[in-house]
Amino acid sequence: MQQNPFLAILTRLGTFVLVMIVLSIMIFVLARVVPGDPARMALGPTATPEQVSALRTEMGLDLPLPVQYLSYMGRALHGDLGMSLLSQRPVTADLAQTVPATVELVLAAVIIMFAIAIPLGVMTAHFRDLWIDHVGRLVSLVGVTIPSFLFAISLQLIAARYFGDWPIIGRMDHGLGFTGGPTGLMLVDSLLAGRLDVFLSALQHLALPAIALSMAGIGQITRITRSAMLENRRKDHVLTLQSFGVPERVIIFRYLLKLSSIAPLTIMGLEFASLIGNAFVIEMVFSWGGFASYGLNAILQKDLNAVTAVVLVSGLFFIVANLIVDILISIIDPRMRRKEAR
Amino acid sequence: MSDPLLKVEGLDVLFTAYGQTRQVLRDISFTVGAGERVALIGETGSGKSVTAKAILGTLPRNATVSAGRIEVEGRNVLDLPRSARDALKGQAFSLIMQDPLSSFNPVFKIGSHLDDVLRYADRRAGVRASTSERRARIAAVLRRVQLADPERVMNAYPSELSGGMRQRVLIGLALLHQPKLLIADEPGTALDVTTQDEILNLINTLVAEEGMALLMITHNLGVVRKVADRVVVMRHGDIVETGPCTQILHAPAHDYTKGLLDAVPPLYGARVQTQELSEKPAIVSANALYKEFGRGARRFQAVRDVTVTLREGEIFGLAGESGSGKTTVARMMMGLARPTTGTVTVEGTPNPGRPLAQIVYQNPGTSLNPKRTVKQSLSLPLKRAGLAGAARDARLAELMGLVRLPVSYLAKYPHELSGGQKQRVAIARALAADPKVLILDEPTAALDVSVQKTVIELLLQLRAELGLTYFMISHDLSLMRNFCSRLAIMLRGEIVEEGPTPQVFAAPQHPYTRALIAAIPVVTDAEERLKPAVTPEERQAFLVTTTD
Repeated sequence: MQQNPFLAILTRLGTFVLVMIVLSIMIFVLARVVPGDPARMALGPTATPEQVSALRTEMGLDLPLPVQYLSYMGRALHGDLGMSLLSQRPVTADLAQTVPATVELVLAAVIIMFAIAIPLGVMTAHFRDLWIDHVGRLVSLVGVTIPSFLFAISLQLIAARYFGDWPIIGRMDHGLGFTGGPTGLMLVDSLLAGRLDVFLSALQHLALPAIALSMAGIGQITRITRSAMLENRRKDHVLTLQSFGVPERVIIFRYLLKLSSIAPLTIMGLEFASLIGNAFVIEMVFSWGGFASYGLNAILQKDLNAVTAVVLVSGLFFIVANLIVDILISIIDPRMRRKEAR
Repeated sequence: MSDPLLKVEGLDVLFTAYGQTRQVLRDISFTVGAGERVALIGETGSGKSVTAKAILGTLPRNATVSAGRIEVEGRNVLDLPRSARDALKGQAFSLIMQDPLSSFNPVFKIGSHLDDVLRYADRRAGVRASTSERRARIAAVLRRVQLADPERVMNAYPSELSGGMRQRVLIGLALLHQPKLLIADEPGTALDVTTQDEILNLINTLVAEEGMALLMITHNLGVVRKVADRVVVMRHGDIVETGPCTQILHAPAHDYTKGLLDAVPPLYGARVQTQELSEKPAIVSANALYKEFGRGARRFQAVRDVTVTLREGEIFGLAGESGSGKTTVARMMMGLARPTTGTVTVEGTPNPGRPLAQIVYQNPGTSLNPKRTVKQSLSLPLKRAGLAGAARDARLAELMGLVRLPVSYLAKYPHELSGGQKQRVAIARALAADPKVLILDEPTAALDVSVQKTVIELLLQLRAELGLTYFMISHDLSLMRNFCSRLAIMLRGEIVEEGPTPQVFAAPQHPYTRALIAAIPVVTDAEERLKPAVTPEERQAFLVTTTD
């Protein structure tokens, strides 16, 4: 009973569009009903009432909400997200500058998360109730309970105290005179330009914020991996392989690991929301200049167009991350593939 | 022929859990000669699976062999180092696992399991073989177990094969290295009766052709008759009796074995009970029921044109294999599911404010909430019925009396009860709301045969005391022969045969009914001879070919 896989993908994309529309309506209405007049805030306390009302008309704030929304969406579909009141530039230009920085940070955090949490989860499961397990449990507990800004500040303090030269703010050393490249990701652009010195500097800058950002996820994913490994260990198929003499390491690292990676991957999709949320804080602490800190300023200043754009981009991040997770899981698990196609 | 192939001598095994040590095997001794077929039988907790694990060396970590020897061709394997023991796996003896679905890792292809088993066995034996060589050898083995398209099977994921095919692959896995001893742990128990029959035939053929010895672990005495020369009867970790198969089945020496044989519902012969037909009016009748699931190209007709009448006071049995639609029919008759077309008419009048029917599920282990005491589980329907305080307590005591359990058990949690006691609680819960009809969905499938007997007796007594009507769903035809007054057989969503039970068994009309009855493992040769004749073509035509 196989069905056209394209249809399955189309259905899924349709759901995403729907989610984006609902999200845009929510943020659009929310941003406009909270108290505070954006025009007044943009012009400052010295502006006359006439100036304020002129700006309100110019921004279209006098129109009914549905009309405002439709005209905003109409322009958004053509790639025009409006002007930022704060920077006095198109929001799209601001995003183009800031989004890659955040993407780089979040991706690095995700990589660190998996690189540490999965092996730790496997080890703690294998050496259950031995000292490694207790250490792993402590690491998880610390990761989950301590807020990420505390990690960020502690890492900065440690770096500043013991590794005097280690950079603790920004994305790279401006003395190197590197202005960026096509992707906006420092690590990639520097390699494309053949600048190893810039690459190393960017890596140094990235290390601390990425570690601070990944701590919460490491705690969770270690625990999930551990319990998935332990649960699957008890299954009959492990016994099958054992009773035919397949070595323990093959059973663990090949058969169990693949089966047990489904649960942490699923959690990863959800974890992404808190990852973006934490990025807002981490970026502030490390003066990262990503779109999270851009968004934070926009919210504080009630920069309507910027806030809406930032929320939509966050939503898009979340959706794309979950799409990738879904694809990965369906690659791993044939049962999911068949369910999709059905 | 000095040493037997396998010799177990004075084997004691201890389990330690939560600081307590329990002896699960006591002084187990038996032998399996080359080419001999031995069955290890016993009920839950008898230690038969632990014995197999001890032989294979796959006991869990908290188990210790405290005394005894396990000799394979004269060598005590318990003294061997781990690597030498691993080398025996698959070579000296192989295991056929019980549950063909959970025995494969769901995210790996069938071929990957087979290839890894072969690769590491080769490596231990010092053989170097390329992937394609191994693939060819695997394909040859799969053809041996009658899988016609080995390439397709190897490239399939476990969930893409039917239960029978998976069981065949498991047998193939055990044959990869021409073992001298095949250990089979309840093969086919999780499968339909016709498929199980095929699997047992296959094992028999292979054992004979390859000259292997067979150690069959089972709780089913009918299976024993089919596949064993000699029988070892186990109970609570002891061996109670050993002897040739015919002697154990026809003239057992030990009372336990006698009781076990007595509890098996007979298919034919003098011991068969016949339930009387009911002449009373209909209580629920279903007319031309159809049920479809899914839409468009995925539309699936689960039930087609089913018309049944449930008469007051009768025990109506609906038999069929997995996927035949019998549970769907029961759900529609009770108003739990709506038919796509067709009508269900309730003729009987339920007690005021109470539903007409209640259901007793197959597995009491999962149908009772493990975090609630018996009292809490039973109180819920009583609360709904508006009973409180002393009236409710009185009713609780009455219900416990009905299912022959002491009132003190009200305070217990499900895990403190045995399987049979749990099922009694489930019956009490169904009775709590004063139903007129009980739906019995394979009520004894999860129970041992001796426990099944007592539960069935209880159900018969309850029917007499309370004037209940039963609607039973099951695939166990020998049980239904003795328990049901009327029987309907379902095949692929349709009722192919219906009639008074004795008539269905004496003169089955539909070839599927004949195939189904013929596949039931029976205990005596006399019963075997009374089974209806089935041609091989007929048998093949009705093998269930579900793919999930």
